[in-house]
Amino acid sequence: MAASPEVENLTPEASRARSREVATRVLLAGSALLVLAVPFLGASPFFITLLTEALIFGIWAMSLDLLVGYTGLVSFGHAASFGFATYAAGIFAMNISADFFLSTIVAILAAAAVAFLTGLVVTRLSGIAFAILTLCICQVLFQISVVWRSFTGGLDGLIGVPLPTLFGREVEPGEELYLLTAATLIVCYLLLRRVVESPFGKTLLAIRANEDRAAAIGIDVRRHKLVILVISWMTGGVAGTLFVFLKAGANPMSLYWIESGNILAITILGGIGTLFGPIIGAIGFIFIRDQVTTMYRAWQFSFGLAFVLAVLFMPSGIAGIAERIWRRLWPARS
Amino acid sequence: MFVNSLNGIIYGSFLALTSLGLSLVFGLGRVVNFAHGVLYALGGYFFIIFLPSLGWGAMVFAPLVVVPLAIAMEWLTIAPIRNRDEIYTLLVTFGLSFMITGAIEYLWGTETTLIKPPVIFQGTVDILGNQFPVYRLFASALSLVVTGLVFVFIQYTPVGLKIRAITDDSEMAEALGINTRWLLTSIFGGAAGFAAFAGALGAPIFSVEPEMGMGIIIDSFLAVILGGLGHLPGTAVGAFIVALAKSIGGGYIAEWAIAVLFLVVAAIMVLRPRGVFGRGRIA
Repeated sequence: MAASPEVENLTPEASRARSREVATRVLLAGSALLVLAVPFLGASPFFITLLTEALIFGIWAMSLDLLVGYTGLVSFGHAASFGFATYAAGIFAMNISADFFLSTIVAILAAAAVAFLTGLVVTRLSGIAFAILTLCICQVLFQISVVWRSFTGGLDGLIGVPLPTLFGREVEPGEELYLLTAATLIVCYLLLRRVVESPFGKTLLAIRANEDRAAAIGIDVRRHKLVILVISWMTGGVAGTLFVFLKAGANPMSLYWIESGNILAITILGGIGTLFGPIIGAIGFIFIRDQVTTMYRAWQFSFGLAFVLAVLFMPSGIAGIAERIWRRLWPARS
Repeated sequence: MFVNSLNGIIYGSFLALTSLGLSLVFGLGRVVNFAHGVLYALGGYFFIIFLPSLGWGAMVFAPLVVVPLAIAMEWLTIAPIRNRDEIYTLLVTFGLSFMITGAIEYLWGTETTLIKPPVIFQGTVDILGNQFPVYRLFASALSLVVTGLVFVFIQYTPVGLKIRAITDDSEMAEALGINTRWLLTSIFGGAAGFAAFAGALGAPIFSVEPEMGMGIIIDSFLAVILGGLGHLPGTAVGAFIVALAKSIGGGYIAEWAIAVLFLVVAAIMVLRPRGVFGRGRIA
């Protein structure tokens, strides 16, 4: 929601909307602080590592939300953005420099380059055709990562990626890597918030609503799709970089189409078009999967069921439900 | 090389059977059925479950169990979203395929089961100096016959005529009094039956494991797009192209072949969205 204009005599409705806006900001700032404070609350190392992975998936899911939620492009190959970056960052870190900023920039640029090239083609399409085409492109990258052994390590992937360094100092695994991830998540969230609230972001919503009409009022639909695709892949690339440092390696399975399906399900379950929802979805997914797979064998079945029910009955996801409750707490009309 | 091509043709005849159903359901109802692969897997599983009690009659019985399951699936999850964007069918059926794969692993474990072919087909034949299992040839021939029967059904029966009418222009067909809703449900069931039959028939060749459906669905999609979505003869040809590309070369060359195949399919989607024969449609 755009910041309210500075008008002194607000109507009661506008004033209530404004107080909700303020409350939303307080809530977001509070959750950001909470996320940063986790290591100091006596969480176990295992919990910290798991939460690191969850936040990385959160960044990745946010990047997919830009396409699915804000532009109406359902990508079934979004593993490509993440997986490709794990290789780019991993190979760079192993051979040249493990500096976090340099590796991230390399991964972002590599992801942007591939996104631009594929975007020249995929932006011609939308709907089902877009979904299947992105799946095909992702499979091409997967096959290459499996086959080109000398460069990617084949099915074993990259092994022994060093720890990242930050300003010349090595980042310890565990709490330090967690803080780095959490800070990156917050920066990404704030930047993407700016993107979706900008006139450019509003134009994307127009494309989502109706591509033909958007084109008819003079919007260059393909260019907008291309730009958001590149931004989305760059964000996915940030997630991939963090992931390769967390796992100290890259694996071709990060590029497999099932992974694309997982992240799509996470994003939709979390709530598309909210940026915040996909993060919730990712945290929920990583934790429930971890807690559940050991003692509950029907996890995959339940995940599929939850996804089907979400698509059928609550297309706005967890965030949609949360927002409805939130609006009831801060009603626009009393 | 020769053996690889022959294996490719055998896989292609199975792939033709599964892709045909995928293409038919898409052409008819604009439903992208991601769950088609797990119906194939269910066919394989019901087959090995019924095998001890029913013998080789299980091959007919397995599809008969899958058909009502598929119809229930269509009723509960796909029919309610018919008025929404087509992409939702892809999302829902993707979730369904997750559910069913999970259910298979939960109920029957993650092991791979390989069945011995029936006794009369257990030998091998000599083809140009290569020993080749008889069952492979028999199964491949049988699935080709079934594929042929589907074509005859679509091309020469009154119901087939209605199906073609709906594929051409569903609104017009409805205006002429064709019950699209009912036909879509039954074709969905029928397509599931053929997929399940392929799964059962292929059990002694490709073995039965929980992920088998996830593998074949991607190949089927490739075949369907190559041939043109909704265009059946093209779909069958596409199936053989995919199968041969995968089997010829062997080892790492084949892996490159698959990468190239995906690239070719991506190019076709953009440059010839109506398939190689220009008779299907994608968007």
